[in-house]
Amino acid sequence: MTTSQFFISAWSGNPWVIAGCAAALLMGGARFRPPTAWLLLATAVFFVTLCSPLDALADGYLFSAHMLQHLLLLLIVPLLILLGWSGRTAPQDLENGRWRWANWILRPPVATWLMGVGGMWLWHAPTLCNAAGSNVWVHHLQSASLLGMGLAFWWPIIGPRTGQRLAPPAGMIYLFTACLGCTLLGIIITFSPVEVCSIYLHPLDRLGILPLIQDQWGLTPAKDQQLGGLLMWVPACLIYFFGILGLLVRWYREPGPESAPAAATQPTLIEKPHGL
Amino acid sequence: MSVTVSTAPAVATPPTEVKLRGPYGWVATVDHKRIGILYLLTTLFFFLVGGVEALLMRIQLARPNNTFISPDAFGQLFTMHGTTMIFLVVMPTLIGLANYLVPLMIGARDMAFPRLNALGFWMLPFGGFLLHYSLLAGGAPAVGWFSYAPLSETAYAATAGTDYWGLALLVIGIGSVAASINLIATILTLRAPGLTLRRLPLFVWMVFINSFLVILALPFLNAAIVMLFIDRHLGTHFFVPAHGGSAVMWQHFFWAFGHPEVYIMVLPAFGIISEIVPVFARRPIFGYEFVAGSTVAIALLSFGVWAHHMFAVGLGHPMDMFFSATSLLIAVPTGIKVFAWSATLWGGSIRLTTAMLFAVAFLIQFTIGGLSGITFAVVPIDWQVTGTYYLVAHFHYVLFGGTFFAVLAAVYYWFPKMSGRMLSEKLGKLNFWMAVIGFNTAFFVQHFLGLMGMPRRVYTYADLPGWGLLNLISTLGAFLLGLSVLILLWNIIISLRRGRLAGDNPWQAWTLEWAATSPPPQQNFDRVPPINSRRPLWDLAHPENPDPAVGGRRSRDGFVLEKNRVGMVTFLVSESCFFLMLILAWLFYNSRAMTGPSPAGTLNAHKTGMYTICLLTSSAAIWLAEKQLRAGRHGWFRGLLGLTILLGGIFIFGQGREYLRIYHQGIVVSSNLFTTTFFTLTGFHGLHVCVGLILLLLLMRLSLAGDFKPGRIEAVKSISLYWHFVDAVWIVVFSVVYLKLLL
Repeated sequence: MTTSQFFISAWSGNPWVIAGCAAALLMGGARFRPPTAWLLLATAVFFVTLCSPLDALADGYLFSAHMLQHLLLLLIVPLLILLGWSGRTAPQDLENGRWRWANWILRPPVATWLMGVGGMWLWHAPTLCNAAGSNVWVHHLQSASLLGMGLAFWWPIIGPRTGQRLAPPAGMIYLFTACLGCTLLGIIITFSPVEVCSIYLHPLDRLGILPLIQDQWGLTPAKDQQLGGLLMWVPACLIYFFGILGLLVRWYREPGPESAPAAATQPTLIEKPHGL
Repeated sequence: MSVTVSTAPAVATPPTEVKLRGPYGWVATVDHKRIGILYLLTTLFFFLVGGVEALLMRIQLARPNNTFISPDAFGQLFTMHGTTMIFLVVMPTLIGLANYLVPLMIGARDMAFPRLNALGFWMLPFGGFLLHYSLLAGGAPAVGWFSYAPLSETAYAATAGTDYWGLALLVIGIGSVAASINLIATILTLRAPGLTLRRLPLFVWMVFINSFLVILALPFLNAAIVMLFIDRHLGTHFFVPAHGGSAVMWQHFFWAFGHPEVYIMVLPAFGIISEIVPVFARRPIFGYEFVAGSTVAIALLSFGVWAHHMFAVGLGHPMDMFFSATSLLIAVPTGIKVFAWSATLWGGSIRLTTAMLFAVAFLIQFTIGGLSGITFAVVPIDWQVTGTYYLVAHFHYVLFGGTFFAVLAAVYYWFPKMSGRMLSEKLGKLNFWMAVIGFNTAFFVQHFLGLMGMPRRVYTYADLPGWGLLNLISTLGAFLLGLSVLILLWNIIISLRRGRLAGDNPWQAWTLEWAATSPPPQQNFDRVPPINSRRPLWDLAHPENPDPAVGGRRSRDGFVLEKNRVGMVTFLVSESCFFLMLILAWLFYNSRAMTGPSPAGTLNAHKTGMYTICLLTSSAAIWLAEKQLRAGRHGWFRGLLGLTILLGGIFIFGQGREYLRIYHQGIVVSSNLFTTTFFTLTGFHGLHVCVGLILLLLLMRLSLAGDFKPGRIEAVKSISLYWHFVDAVWIVVFSVVYLKLLL
């Protein structure tokens, strides 16, 4: 099989994903008419993540493809969803409706931070990583949980309820520490001499693409893991990095967090008491 | 003009100090201005030392096959020049300038911790002394400022020089971290009313960001040096490949520090330029937000690009690819700055004072250095030129043509404030032209030498076509540069005696330091002007046309921080980075197959687990103790504090017994990489527990002396924070070292 043949043929019509995409579009369309470009983009990325050849590769062949999927689900898709949401009316359900309990989870930034960063660490424990790579139901659970944890993670940064957002300086610390978290994991995976996910060591060649991957693309298991670690380390951090820059823009734009008594506007001198 | 009495003066508690006269007054001072000047004088001295070392090397290199200096002496000069210039000159000069200027620019009376400030400074001459003491102890270090392992291991560098190199860097590093903690606490907690973070002068903002780089990056170096030291003195093999260690790890550790270090040496220089260019172009800086924001971007990216120093090591294509991309990316925020400065100049009414001339030269030379820097991000080019003089030319354009020209601009700009007298402009212009011609002559030709293939770090070279001539030109340029430094010295000496009196604000500048007298009084300000914008003195002089108030009329940031807490938290952040390196070393070395003792056969996880519970309980005890103290129940406080000390003591006793038991099995730190990393990691944690216990005992003594009257419990809060940190580190250490054995 050649590269182009593989990329044309390896699309799958996963009914769960298609149903999810359709539901997102219908719900989004019902709430916001017309659905925003962000929402369409989020749906498209979600579909590509789970139905394209990327998914075929992540399914037991390439650790790095799995990592890319992981990053898209945890960091990109939720970000796009929330970007589509911001500027719209805040969901009343969260205020006092039947989703009120979600507020308890989304309010403390420590909890959302732990979900965002912990999600990454948790699913790379060798046992869980192997389980997700070999059992389709664990894989679905992983995808769903990553999406949910990603939404929670971004909530205090660009959530629709502006009152619940972190102040920009605190938000920058939130994202910077998250970046440290994923850097660390990335470094450990990149430099680890042992396999993090042993199932990728000897892939079961269901599609007959192993020669393509290992010989033509030159992706040996060792290189593959290094690539995966680097994906977690560098591009993931760049996402946080651009988040921090976004917060800086917001910080310099907004008028000010509190209405403390303003300093005198005419050129008076403020005298300091002597002899402190 | 009405006079309002400020209700919340942002001043440090001034140390109870009468102005001491004479030399003793300078030695005993805790005044940030005097300490700042001491920094600058010390670095000037070391600059002359490092400069002479450079000139000696240039004489040796002036012609091919020269025998002026022996290869070994060249190696020593080469190492001392690099180490001196980076750790004893550039970094402390910038810290010294920040020390002098930051409190003045934010309208504060002194730094947040004046005594810590003095400590930080005295670490510098001490470190310098240690480094040069090596000359008496068997020869200076000859391993390069990067001290690449395994060449810096005992087998290849047997003299004590390398040890003094490490000790000196540790001492200086502690001083730099102390200064940075102090700067962060000062900037966060002592700003005058109205000076919100978004109105900070750019120099202060960049020093602020830079201080975070220092506290995060320096521990990487310290951890690496500690490991090298253990290798050299306890016979271990962290960095000896022949015994299972990894020499490449040294490079990772070193450059994980080394690349942020590049920005540590250049960010404050950016700040200087951002102050000087607007004043002499008579326009506010173009795009303040972009200059400030790009600083944050540079600081963040600087941690993710270090591997470009290691492309030639052979890290593999995936690593090269990603680090090439990030290294190219970091050029963007740097470029934004250059554009902002250029746009500030555009259409301004430029006054070409000496300070401005140096700033403009900075702009051009730094851009050249930056552009040649981008070429190193491209892997194939890097492979070709990384070992050549092209690289020498590149980093001298950044550090000398960039940072040092900015420092000279700062000297000409702020000397009037520090001394009360103007430097001579005539000598200044002479100084400038000689420096600019000398510098470019010395270093521009090195680009060609490098591209022609002349290797760097060599004591001599073969007589190949063109090499001799270009090297001679370079040497002549270096001497012209040296001459320009003498002119600067002469200018300083005569201007101190006969210079024109400066007055408060000789340049009609806009930031707060120019509102104080020149030199400023000990308390800096009697009155701080009102601050509504980024240029308070402009507003004062032009009440009819003030700058727009940044952030509306809000005069405060949305948060209030307490300085002791800020100091302790930043210190602990720095400590975390140190432990992070030790933990990563543990993970890396223990994931590889090795012979000799293994964790399962050596460690007693159950017993240690018990002692761990003691340590964790002690955290709860001190938390309760703090609560009791806040409620004013001193007896309860002492009881719980005693319990904390007892529990901490039990833990350290348990660790001691475990060590002893292991030792009796004949297992020592040098047995294999497991024992090396185990003893290093738990040993450093134990050391921290001991320090914590001493601090807790001190608290007990203070409490018995009745020191914690209500409302004065910052010391308890800070030390309990430290104790929680020690426990938190142990949780991580226990998880990575022991948990696997329990499961």
